Amino acid sequence: METDVNTVISVKSLTQRYGNGRVIYSDLSFDVAKGRILGLLGKNGTGKTTTINILMGYLKPAAGKCTIFNEPIENLSPQTRSRIALLIEGHVQYSFMTIEQIEKFYSAFYNRWNRAAYYELMSKLHVSPRQHISSMSCGQRSQVALGLILAQNADLLVLDDFSLGLDPGYRRLFVDYLNDYVRSENKTVFMTSHIIQDLERLIDDCIILDYGKILTQTSVKELMSRFSRYTCSLPENIELRPDDTIVNPGKIRRETEFYTYGSRLEVEAALTRQGLKCNNLIRHDMTLEDAFIGLTGKY
Amino acid sequence: MIKALIFKEWVKTRRMFVISLAVAVAVTIYVILMMSRLVELKGVGHLMMIMLLKDNSFVDSCRFIPLLAAIAIAASQMIPEMSQRRLKLTLHLPCRRGRLMSVMLLCGVVELTLIFIIQLAMITVCDFVILPSELVARVVLTMLPWFLAGYVAYLFVAAICLEGTRTMKTVLSLVGIAVLFLFYLQPAMEAYNAMILPLIVFIAVLPLLSVGSVIRFKEGLYD
Repeated sequence: METDVNTVISVKSLTQRYGNGRVIYSDLSFDVAKGRILGLLGKNGTGKTTTINILMGYLKPAAGKCTIFNEPIENLSPQTRSRIALLIEGHVQYSFMTIEQIEKFYSAFYNRWNRAAYYELMSKLHVSPRQHISSMSCGQRSQVALGLILAQNADLLVLDDFSLGLDPGYRRLFVDYLNDYVRSENKTVFMTSHIIQDLERLIDDCIILDYGKILTQTSVKELMSRFSRYTCSLPENIELRPDDTIVNPGKIRRETEFYTYGSRLEVEAALTRQGLKCNNLIRHDMTLEDAFIGLTGKY
Repeated sequence: MIKALIFKEWVKTRRMFVISLAVAVAVTIYVILMMSRLVELKGVGHLMMIMLLKDNSFVDSCRFIPLLAAIAIAASQMIPEMSQRRLKLTLHLPCRRGRLMSVMLLCGVVELTLIFIIQLAMITVCDFVILPSELVARVVLTMLPWFLAGYVAYLFVAAICLEGTRTMKTVLSLVGIAVLFLFYLQPAMEAYNAMILPLIVFIAVLPLLSVGSVIRFKEGLYD
């Protein structure tokens, strides 16, 4: 088999269907290079968790080939699994254990276990080492899960919707810790989240999924530089139509909003082609969340 | 690694193990006191006569204890694994999955065996004080299928809990109930003597049910 030391995750022509045969997505292909942070973004039900389940070997895909560290995902060896830190959606952990017990348990499995990293994070929670995880709040549980990931010192972090159920403070704490850790240790990360603003400061590359297809697959820098949001005023009875340049147009009263990969000149040309003369054509600065909405639409 | 896995299983099951052991010991003490009282009032001869002529082993109260202990331990061990699909965490551990499953099941089997041994030892020692060895052997052989039913119940409940699909859960439950029913069909002493060996062989293959459930879970077959 062809090996590439720089590719940590490789997904080729992945297709997955629901039980009733409806396609979740087809022909999904992407690579995650060593040291990159890739965010898989999409609305609910577009297949983010499904992809993670497939990659971790908890779901058999309808078609396609995936490898992690050049090993087929169907049969990841224990050695390769030890190089992957997994965060399951909802920060699921062995909640029947205490803070102390769970650290002791996991430390037996990982050679590079960093106990100090775990307890440093736990010291911020003001909880007793003998406290059961089941009796902790969702935010505190997320920190336990993060502490275990940091302590594992894995080469690849797979994080499924880490922001689920967290208040802004815990989300910020999670992102700050993770950001510092993955940048300083040059870790590779594959993550999903439905709160896009959390990912903006974190990810290098993104894949935006829509129902059944990939909308874009690029670096965040490129997306933010090429994709833009415009508003303009149009008479109430005139609607802007989507075309090669105009993406996801919408209208509230007289103000029309649309997104584009084109330049201002291309936008003006597209409007002219539609026989429209716009007043107040304004290009707006965007966040990643704006870009996400621009690509996926509000509904 | 193995030590850590055993620790995890112990954390989950210790409460049910202690409760099951306490119930088993309490019922066994009740049985022993009942026999002692009869011996005290009517003599050993009367006790032996009842055992021989009326086919009464005096341990009937212990009949369902292994079964209940097995269900309690299996449920306390496997339900936390399947709640929130926590089994994903276990299967992600850097350890061969066959070994993971074997350790999990062995932990439950060892806990059950401890309960059974303690119960059997208490009955045997007390019976030896008052009864000839032939009659003690009869009591032990009468109890043996109940212990085997305990192992069967444990392995079926483990597989049912680990199973992700409702259909397979139902199928396994129905088959499990039918199989366990066979162990309690015949109340006579030593009724299952000829079946002991085949039953042990049958039990030896039952862990495959849990393996099947985990394979289906890994393929994403869960509701």
